[in-house]
Amino acid sequence: MSVPLLILIFTPLLAGLLSLVMRTQRALERLQCILAVVLWGSMASVVSSFASGSDVSTGYLLRVDPLSAFMDFMLAFVSGTGLLFAVGYMGEKLIRGEMKLNHYCRFFFFFNFFLFAMLLTVNLDNIALMWISLESSTLAAALLVGFERTKSALEAGWKYVILSFIGIALSLFGTVLMYYASEHVLGVGMEALSLKALYRVSPYLNPAALKLAFIFVLIGYGTKAGVVPMHTWLPDAHAEAPTPVSAILSGLMLNVGLYALLRFKSITDQALGEGFTGPLVLGFGLLSLTVAAFFMLIQKDYKRLLAYSSIEHVGIAMVGFGVGGPLGVFGGFFHMIHHALVKSTAFYSAGGVLLKSGHKEMERITGMLKRLPIAGIGLLLAAMGLAGMPPAGLFVSELLIATSAYRNYPVLTYLFLTLLILTFGALMYHIPHMVLGNTTEKDEPINDRTRNFITTAILINLAAMYYGGFNLPWFLRTMTVPMTGIFGARIEFP
Amino acid sequence: MDMAHPDVGSQLVNICSMLLLVTTFAIVAQRRLSACVDLFALQSVFLGVTAAVVAFLTGIYHIYIAALLTILIKAIIIPLILKRVIERLNVKRELVLNINIPASLLICGALVILAFSVTQPIISLGFLLTKDSLAIALAILLIGFFTMISRRKAVTQVVGFLVVENGIFLGATAAAYGMPLIVELGVFFDVLVAALIIGVFTHRLQDTFDSVDVSKLTGMKE
Repeated sequence: MSVPLLILIFTPLLAGLLSLVMRTQRALERLQCILAVVLWGSMASVVSSFASGSDVSTGYLLRVDPLSAFMDFMLAFVSGTGLLFAVGYMGEKLIRGEMKLNHYCRFFFFFNFFLFAMLLTVNLDNIALMWISLESSTLAAALLVGFERTKSALEAGWKYVILSFIGIALSLFGTVLMYYASEHVLGVGMEALSLKALYRVSPYLNPAALKLAFIFVLIGYGTKAGVVPMHTWLPDAHAEAPTPVSAILSGLMLNVGLYALLRFKSITDQALGEGFTGPLVLGFGLLSLTVAAFFMLIQKDYKRLLAYSSIEHVGIAMVGFGVGGPLGVFGGFFHMIHHALVKSTAFYSAGGVLLKSGHKEMERITGMLKRLPIAGIGLLLAAMGLAGMPPAGLFVSELLIATSAYRNYPVLTYLFLTLLILTFGALMYHIPHMVLGNTTEKDEPINDRTRNFITTAILINLAAMYYGGFNLPWFLRTMTVPMTGIFGARIEFP
Repeated sequence: MDMAHPDVGSQLVNICSMLLLVTTFAIVAQRRLSACVDLFALQSVFLGVTAAVVAFLTGIYHIYIAALLTILIKAIIIPLILKRVIERLNVKRELVLNINIPASLLICGALVILAFSVTQPIISLGFLLTKDSLAIALAILLIGFFTMISRRKAVTQVVGFLVVENGIFLGATAAAYGMPLIVELGVFFDVLVAALIIGVFTHRLQDTFDSVDVSKLTGMKE
């Protein structure tokens, strides 16, 4: 029984319910800030005790393995800054009179529930309960995407609902097929869905059923992760959702979709080797990267630009996992966590830009460095990180992935590098133009409290992003070996 | 497990699964929205019966609960919600089809063949009772997706989605003897909430766009 784990997972749910009964803005915001601190504290406790070797599982449903601990770290860290930013951003809208207090409370209910569902997803040991939890996060996200109720927000919400339900249905069928294969080995019952048991018996599972299950899951959870060609909901949802939601969708939810996909990949890999799943994942990864790179060039809306950049980065991580081997898998995980940090920073800054300028057209925005320095700096540094410039961690992971791809797929590596240069060009073409120079546009005034919240969120993220670019924290270091191990790869540190 | 009459049992389950498939085809061939919803309710009744038969033949009692919930939620509650949406929206028929009905039926026939050929390698894994159910489940799932793609009205897309859910549920019950109870309860709960959310969205779409013709949602390209 691990109390920190229960606190980590269930505090967001509790805070969400409490948000509904809050009567003043001040009380609600205080509650959300407390939630952020509790998330960080319990995450630190869970991750450090896991990394130092103690068992953090609770009951037979919640079980923390290296991959879960890694996801816990990512989710809790970014959720914390996401909450601070959400308080700043949505609070400003409340003060400006664009929303009512009860809407504000309801927003945080859905937002906290969304975080809860994702945290639960990555800690469940049961693939069917994992599906249910992921589906719940989709439902919460759908309501959040359509939250502002404008024409385009509703349209984006509807698109998201329909496409993600298709995806989620396909992954449920994949889960049923996995169960179909495993109940012959483990018998009818809960154990046949347990990840721990599946890893144990993976060599005895029927290969044909595993392959079919993996294909369904690849398309299904791939939709949640925003993989091309199932990505079409993503740019609309990211552009139309309130900015804190865009940050969490992009930084965390795509990674949770990828996590679910990787769970199935690892079971299939243990049974069949990387020969079956590798090329499939690599192919979809490269396709996502290609499509995103070209679409990034022609964007006019900065939130859509960042959305396509998310498709690109999910693609890069998938290339890493598809190439496989210790370096590829490690590169993939390193890419996931750094993308979460950098992309959420970019969205926090974009939220600041949106509050300051009131519109999303890149062409008309200039001089952000003078108008709202923290957003300007954040956007510029995040764009440099996303483009893969050192010392941001994405440089390291892209280098690792390219290095490990070169051994088996030299031609594809050239394609991969070319596309990276293209995305670099797209980001450097669009973003500095927004940040530098002067402006004649009218500024919307921003309250000091909002500025403080946004600044805090961006600075914490930037610090983590640069620290992580130079160092691998000790807990990640101890988790990395077993994390790559579940794909059958072994990594050694000197 | 009581498997006294495996032959009779497997015939029964097969007949029930086939009835589900037939109603799926009927939904594809139907233009009137309320009739689509009725057919979906009928399909859910067949699904409930299939589950009950499987529960009786295998003696796994929690499948009875799943059967009961299927009939309660999918044959009664969700159709009621959808009917109310249709009444409020004042749309009766699917006027413009992306693909006409005879062609749709032919495509669905091809999807059934595809489903059987894809599942062929793993059908031998199945339990004695329910060998073909997995293929039928996959066929229903594919036809459900096809409905979602080929129709334009939000309500028919929702029916398509629910048909997909029925297909998956048939796969889980008939081919795999049901998922554990807690899982099935969770899935039911999610489907119900999903239907409610879709209802909320269609209301808001109607209020904002004066239409639930999804093809009008073209504001966002690229």
